[in-house]
Amino acid sequence: MVEKCNIVIAGVGGQGVLLAAEILGNGALIEGYDVRVSEIHGMAQRGGSVVCDVRIGERVYAPTTPDGMADIMLGLEPIETLRYLRFTSSETLIVMNIKPVKPVSVLMGMVKDLSLENIIQIINRYYAKAILIDAMDIAMKAGNPVVQNVVMLGVLASTNRLPISVNAIKESLKQLVSPKYLELNIRAFELGLKAGETYSLFRR
Amino acid sequence: MATNWWKNLVRSKVLLSRNVGERHLLLGNEAIARGAIEAGVKVVTTYPGTPSSEIADSLSYVAKDAGIYMEYSTNEIVAVEVAAGASLCGVRALSCMKHVGLNVASDALITLAYTGVRGGFVLVTADDPGCWSSQNEQDNRYYALLANLPCFEPSNSQEAKDWIVYAFDLSEKFELPILFRTTTRVSHTLAPVEIGPIHKSLDHGKFIPDVKRFVMVPDFARARHVALINKMESIKELNEKSSFNKIIEGGEKLGFITSGASFNYTMEAIDLLGIEASILKIGMIHPFPEQLVKDFVRRFEEVFIVEELEPYIENTVKASTINLGVKIIGKSNNFLPKNGELSTSIITKALAKVLGKPLPKNFISDISFEEIKKILPPRPPILCPGCPHRASFYAIKRSMKGMQINCTDIGCYALGIQEPLKIGDLLICMGASVGTACGISKSQERPVVSIIGDSTFFHAAIPGLINAVYNNHRIITIILDNCATAMTGFQPHPGTGLTGMGKQGKRVIIEEVVKGCGIEHIEVVDPYNVKQTCDALLRAIEYPGPSVIVARRKCSLLATQEKRRQGLKIIPYKIIDDKCKKCFACVKVLGCPAINTLNGTIFIDFNLCTGCGVCEQICPYKAIEISRDELW
Repeated sequence: MVEKCNIVIAGVGGQGVLLAAEILGNGALIEGYDVRVSEIHGMAQRGGSVVCDVRIGERVYAPTTPDGMADIMLGLEPIETLRYLRFTSSETLIVMNIKPVKPVSVLMGMVKDLSLENIIQIINRYYAKAILIDAMDIAMKAGNPVVQNVVMLGVLASTNRLPISVNAIKESLKQLVSPKYLELNIRAFELGLKAGETYSLFRR
Repeated sequence: MATNWWKNLVRSKVLLSRNVGERHLLLGNEAIARGAIEAGVKVVTTYPGTPSSEIADSLSYVAKDAGIYMEYSTNEIVAVEVAAGASLCGVRALSCMKHVGLNVASDALITLAYTGVRGGFVLVTADDPGCWSSQNEQDNRYYALLANLPCFEPSNSQEAKDWIVYAFDLSEKFELPILFRTTTRVSHTLAPVEIGPIHKSLDHGKFIPDVKRFVMVPDFARARHVALINKMESIKELNEKSSFNKIIEGGEKLGFITSGASFNYTMEAIDLLGIEASILKIGMIHPFPEQLVKDFVRRFEEVFIVEELEPYIENTVKASTINLGVKIIGKSNNFLPKNGELSTSIITKALAKVLGKPLPKNFISDISFEEIKKILPPRPPILCPGCPHRASFYAIKRSMKGMQINCTDIGCYALGIQEPLKIGDLLICMGASVGTACGISKSQERPVVSIIGDSTFFHAAIPGLINAVYNNHRIITIILDNCATAMTGFQPHPGTGLTGMGKQGKRVIIEEVVKGCGIEHIEVVDPYNVKQTCDALLRAIEYPGPSVIVARRKCSLLATQEKRRQGLKIIPYKIIDDKCKKCFACVKVLGCPAINTLNGTIFIDFNLCTGCGVCEQICPYKAIEISRDELW
């Protein structure tokens, strides 16, 4: 296993950033690792920008990833992925949902929008490895747009860059998701997994 | 409460678990809650505040099963008084609050240090370096110094859990309140915690009077101050040898002294730079273990102090090692800043500079983040779709036409400062909207509005309101009653009548309290009714004395959740394209996240719309209608 695995998860309040982070963190605990998951509550929950760290290793101290040290950037939303790129280096694996959630400032026409094409250009310019996925599309196939976060976990799990097995993530899901929605979440996770696998094949 | 019931259920199982040795991922706050249960806590009090809220919230959830009495007190000083009363009867008590909450509670705490306690009493203060969700980033370690009380500072969830248990024992042994200081990054980090045994403690005690000890008239207070000083001397002796302070040996080249969250960053920075260093981690930061520190410092030529905010450890270390001739490097040498959070990055960079070491790989990136930042649209936190506060703010703007000065307060409604509402000219602390409005109304000509939430009203606005009546200040107080302490996680408050034990108690009616304060012009409105609210505001402007408008409407998040639970349908609004003249009034005046634009057209996102109907009332062309299609 790698000495340490730093995952930065970025998104918008309400997208399930914290739950995605907790599922990974709990998965790491199941695998017997030390882990830290940083959460920031309060103001950020109100449709604001949310970032969360999952740090996995034999021994982890700090909850937050140092600048440039993210092994993985899991972006649940394109603009928010860009907002936290300072935690990445060109070696970071980018796993990004290409379904944007427009900020209110953009909707009101007060601030210039940043197009998805622009965002993808920036990602492709700097990063050797990036998986860009329409998680909304897959989540709808799974049955509900709210499981975009779990779709993205599936995509991430397909990359073999996590020190956690697919089974550990599923076990973690079972522990953290209400039984009523477990089937939906497992379906989303598996569709994500599959999408990730085909994506990788396609790219190479 | 609008919370994730399944998550609560999962966590409550962990909080009540009897499986010693089991490992779970817990927030620092949840670990504190578990620790309190292990310590046999019987009374828990709080006023919610980020980053402390989950401690008491999770204890509220399990209170009945754990045999705990839990209450949401009206404010922090009441919380401390209630817990102190319980402790004086010999029962173990916990009181939790955010850092600024301790300002409110400090009056009780500082004299409670004199009387001392009986049952273990621990006060958790959750500080917020970086102001993630606070109006300031004060360093509450100074309260330990001011009150002269022991203070623990854990670095992670496991320590938080273990040390709380010990803090109760120490409190009981020395009959002193114990401060337990966390910061956001300890409170809000999930980390593994190993479950320990749950200890038994007294369910009920009795109050044994002791006038000389408990009645702090000057004569007795003087003697009790001496008693406090003596107790703290004994605890200092204990702290010199305590296992809460530990040295991580790494040779005699460089020394570091640190505590709390800063310890974590220090460990990683030293590792990243590949330097050899010994680290003294201080767990009980007051009374300061001077001898331990002296013995550590004298081993080195230079000692680095790594701590967030104020140079508390630095100054204390300097004072105790002044004769040793060792260079102490901290805030005074500009090694680290006195503001904001620290991080592994900040410490690594600062150390690399001082030690002349190269930065680790990846620290200097080939990516131009600054360029990317410039083109990124901002995404500040905003009021939720259908938020009744948005409707109230719109009514204020419309009826007062920007003539007024808005003194606002602590709560979701502070988000009203964002575009397009821009309501909020002054925000200081809980309840300050009323007091500051009084002063402003006396000192200039424009009408003055004080805007305050329901929970905040009960917490701190009542003396201000009485002051407005007594001294006849012509202010308009608008109480935004959304039936919850929404910002911190929808905790109940006196206006809801729901208690920390989950029981429906007596509701305290805001307008009755207002009337009792002597206010003669009171109106209760539904902010979703725009005309009613505007008319009430116009009458208040005309009124020649202090007036109050209670704008009552349940938080839209809570209301939506309740409707879903009851199987009721949420019927969204829609824009009739034929009638819409693309004036964008709804978009530009309300700023509701449910109203979106796409290629010059406006549409309502039916996933976000809560059906509040405010946009329908403000559309000049009657182009917004309730949707006939039932989507939920």
